[in-house]
Amino acid sequence: MRKLLPILLALSVVVMFLGVYVGSVELSPSDVTDSIVYGIKRALLGESPAEKPKYFLIIWEFRLPRVLLAYLVGLSLASAGVASQALFKNPMADPYIIGISGGASVGAALGLIYFPNHVSLLSFVFALLSVYVVYTVAKVNGRIPVDTLLLSGVAFGFMANAVTSYLVLTLGPKAHLTYMWLMGSFSGADWEKVRNVFLASLFGLTFLIWKWRELNILLLGEEGVALGLDVDMFRKFVVVVIAIMSAVSVASAGIIGFVGLIGPHIARILVGPNHKRLTLSAALIGGILMVSADLVARTIARPTEIPVGIVTAMMGGPFFLYLLRKHKRGEVLT
Amino acid sequence: MILKVNVSFSYGDREVLRDVSFEARRGRLLAIIGPNGAGKSTLLKCIAGILRPRGEVQLDGIDLLTLSPKERARFVSYVPQASVPEFNFTIEEFVEMGTYFTGGSVRDALQKVGFWERRNESVLSLSGGEYQLVLLARALAQGGRVLLLDEPTSHLDINHALMIMELLKELKEEKIVVAVLHDLNLALRYADNLLILKNGEKFWEGSVGRLSPRILEEVYGVKVEFVRGKFGTAVLPSL
Repeated sequence: MRKLLPILLALSVVVMFLGVYVGSVELSPSDVTDSIVYGIKRALLGESPAEKPKYFLIIWEFRLPRVLLAYLVGLSLASAGVASQALFKNPMADPYIIGISGGASVGAALGLIYFPNHVSLLSFVFALLSVYVVYTVAKVNGRIPVDTLLLSGVAFGFMANAVTSYLVLTLGPKAHLTYMWLMGSFSGADWEKVRNVFLASLFGLTFLIWKWRELNILLLGEEGVALGLDVDMFRKFVVVVIAIMSAVSVASAGIIGFVGLIGPHIARILVGPNHKRLTLSAALIGGILMVSADLVARTIARPTEIPVGIVTAMMGGPFFLYLLRKHKRGEVLT
Repeated sequence: MILKVNVSFSYGDREVLRDVSFEARRGRLLAIIGPNGAGKSTLLKCIAGILRPRGEVQLDGIDLLTLSPKERARFVSYVPQASVPEFNFTIEEFVEMGTYFTGGSVRDALQKVGFWERRNESVLSLSGGEYQLVLLARALAQGGRVLLLDEPTSHLDINHALMIMELLKELKEEKIVVAVLHDLNLALRYADNLLILKNGEKFWEGSVGRLSPRILEEVYGVKVEFVRGKFGTAVLPSL
């Protein structure tokens, strides 16, 4: 599986190209490349080197940021999924299922309505709070069993989603737009959001890749202390990283479920559970999946666009049930 | 090499260990025995740094309780009570975890327990006895002067149990080895010194040769006799 990373990177480029290429306005492949090359030149040189390509505005201001945002959000959620699974020692954990995304959405909704300049920050604070609550409720004798994790996560997530829906539907000035956001959508993508998610995912992913040994040991629980890891301290760092990555994703694209579950799971099948290889593979798969899901969301019901959260739930829901069934049969999840 | 321990530990208000003190040395295998719930595993966890006791744990004059987990891991390795492995690591990856912060040799450790050739197999495919050996290899790879083992032979067939005990017999020449044992016959046969715990307190400490049936009767509340045979002494309970 040594060739996996180049394959995933190549796949990433292909789906991102498709993501920019396919849309309601028909383009040729060279339109896409011309505009991107022009945009990069302009950004680097700070001036317009030549005449603008024909569809530059559509490609540079709408499709490209959207595709990049989708990729980065997928990457962040899958990384946050890997980290949650190590934290909870449970391969069924995912920022959405364990209620973190829901919690983050309450913060983001409060931000969107009352403090438009602090959406990400509020989202982060509420995400942190939710990890703490779910972790505390789900813990039984120092372990986090699947059932208590799912129950407390789902219950907390429901509660949080209800609060968010209430805020958005009754108080939001642009209820229909925020509702789209609530269901998960990249339609509001712009370069600023791309930058925010890029910085958050760069930080989070770097941390998780750098700390692969610690993440492996985290899977052993308390006995990890005897191997030299300050387990309590490291858990706190991981919680903050999960909260940052989920919060920024939720703040810029709403609640999108299951990618944090599917990305890591596919990666485990391909490279095994060792975080030395797992984290980056899972992150790239998450990005690829998200761009693909967004492509489906934009095209399946043309000209109407459906929220991408619906697509990921349709892909991820059955997958989640399959995992749960495997777990019930006593097969150890890899 | 000498390990001096004197600790107390409470879970909330419940005191689980009360002033338990003992010394362990290289060359003398120390077995900790006693009834269920006496605090044996808790004592090991206190020395390994998993729990934070009051008192002191000194290794050759170094106070282990003041060290960070990373520093302590260089001195003390710990073999937990075997549970079921949950993640699909290979044997080599699993043993490597012992070396992350100490930099020991995975190969030497796996060769010692006879698993180097099988290093690429998944830990999920191991039997209970094999997994216990791999856990021991992880602790050996970690290195350190003290090796703590929590019931290393429980649930093992007699062949694997003897294999583990023979390894410990070898290892005690290089390290301070302390093992919680349930099997009194194995303890009698392999340990040099015994520490008996009862209700969170030290009940008896001494060399195996000084142990009498009367002491075991007081600890476990069961009448026992020692039977001497060709291979050593066996403990027979009588009803």
